[in-house]
Amino acid sequence: MAIIEVNGLTRKFSDRIAVDGLTFQVNQGEVLGFLGPNGAGKTTTIRMLAGIIAPTSGGATVAGLRIPGDAEKLHESIGMLTETPGFYDRLSAGFNLTYFAGFYNGFDAQAQSEKYLKSMGLWERRDSRVGTFSKGMKQRLALARALLHEPKVLFLDEPTAGLDPEAAREVRDLIKRLSAEGRTVFVSTHNLAEAEELCHRIAIIRTSLLAIDTGQNLRDRFFRRQVIVRVQNMTPAIQEAARRLTFVKQMQVAGNELTIEMSEPEQNRPELVQAVVNEGGRVLDVFENKQPLEDIYLKLVHEENGNEP
Amino acid sequence: MSRKRILNILFKEWRVVLTDFSSSLIIFGLPFLLIGQLMLYVWLGVYFAGDKAGGIAVFQHAFSKLQGAVPAVAALSTAEQFRVLLLNQFSFFLLLIPVMIAMNTVTFSIVDEKLSGSLEALLSTPVRTWELLLGKALAGAVPALLMTWIVGGVFLGVVAAVGWGNLIGMVVTPVWFMSLFLLTPAITVLSFLLGVLGSARAKDSKSAQNLSLVIIFPLFALIAVQVTGIVWFTWLSALVLAAVLIGIDYLVLRLAVSLFQRESIIVRWR
Repeated sequence: MAIIEVNGLTRKFSDRIAVDGLTFQVNQGEVLGFLGPNGAGKTTTIRMLAGIIAPTSGGATVAGLRIPGDAEKLHESIGMLTETPGFYDRLSAGFNLTYFAGFYNGFDAQAQSEKYLKSMGLWERRDSRVGTFSKGMKQRLALARALLHEPKVLFLDEPTAGLDPEAAREVRDLIKRLSAEGRTVFVSTHNLAEAEELCHRIAIIRTSLLAIDTGQNLRDRFFRRQVIVRVQNMTPAIQEAARRLTFVKQMQVAGNELTIEMSEPEQNRPELVQAVVNEGGRVLDVFENKQPLEDIYLKLVHEENGNEP
Repeated sequence: MSRKRILNILFKEWRVVLTDFSSSLIIFGLPFLLIGQLMLYVWLGVYFAGDKAGGIAVFQHAFSKLQGAVPAVAALSTAEQFRVLLLNQFSFFLLLIPVMIAMNTVTFSIVDEKLSGSLEALLSTPVRTWELLLGKALAGAVPALLMTWIVGGVFLGVVAAVGWGNLIGMVVTPVWFMSLFLLTPAITVLSFLLGVLGSARAKDSKSAQNLSLVIIFPLFALIAVQVTGIVWFTWLSALVLAAVLIGIDYLVLRLAVSLFQRESIIVRWR
């Protein structure tokens, strides 16, 4: 069931079109990655969907609420992690959270703050000034703030930007946890590996929507699937046996490695290995050569721009 | 809910001020400097010009207004009359306190939040614009007003302590009370709303202060017209002025809400 429905969402700043006619849906419990180069309209889209700025035309429905519409109601249903964590550095982590919790209806601000400080591993530092926190801790605190009112939908704007690998890993693990809890997460990122690791589907935008699908489907759409077989004793007979297989679309040989294009590696791999072994081949390794998401991203973004990647 | 949110903003702003020495100094120290300065001004004025003041045209005019408002003054010597005249200005000098506190605290309140990144997080909560602006204005106005009243009380204590206690009855008049408990709160709220307005329209701390200074500064005109006796406030004129200011407070809040463009602040400020 779709919890975010976007229809022709457009935003202009003076004459410049920042976001042009976005249309897509996000299902409940899904993690959607939002990829695009700088200035592609990612943050503007998030701000529109979070009811912070209004679209010029088009609209959306988030958690059953129309956009543009009643921002106050919308803000009760969504959580947002902004590009900059933005806290009061001279105040404690606990006070910061309780302060933001105080703007929502229907729950105990203190209890929720405690719950999420514990959940983010910051309980021991609750009385410390936020100004003394590392970037990673501030980001975890910002995630806690976004979750205080138990929102159905979370918008995360570049949650791991500027974090060291360990802190980025912590934040990614938290997002996975949120996904496992069934929350819908809309995450913008520059990190393609991160998008692939975290997201059920990936949307690539450059002002307009270029593609939206799972990582694997995007690969299938733009690149043929390849399986690589490494053999200890490569012979012409082995090569010929592999080439004869009906599902092999194309094959290249480089040293003791066969690179074979096929549409369903999961189905055909055992038969391929069997054919190689039947010709006396000693198989060292068989694996799918996954085209990096980066290649797809660059292909899409540059094609749109009319440039070669 | 609005009350809860406004109180939430108030308590946060107070905490921020209490953790900053310079802001605390402006709020809790500056008002007392004003008493010392004014007492010095009264003493110097009477010492050097007390007897001669009756011969200066502008003071003659002010004396006649003073005698009209407080007939008992006519029985005093010229120097004493001059002292009463100067002491009577104090309630209007008190108006400086909220204006100065506003310029040094609230003018930064919105722009600082924007620069630290907390404003976008704040605007993604259900807080309404008017709740945010009123909360910010009251967070400064309430302590400024309390300090003004405390300083007013301390001033009377000092007047008695330096041996001018016989003049207190001529200073603490209905206009004094009107000024302290009606005009001062109305001007305080106005100063802080104008400060918030300036802060909301500025792009950085410096421009926030400059803008607020230009907006708030005309309030000093009230003091100037009273000191020179050009306009002598009676309890009625003080009441009318307070009523007008309360009306202006409301209009300025409406104006601030309409000028507070969330989008422009979020998108264009860097």
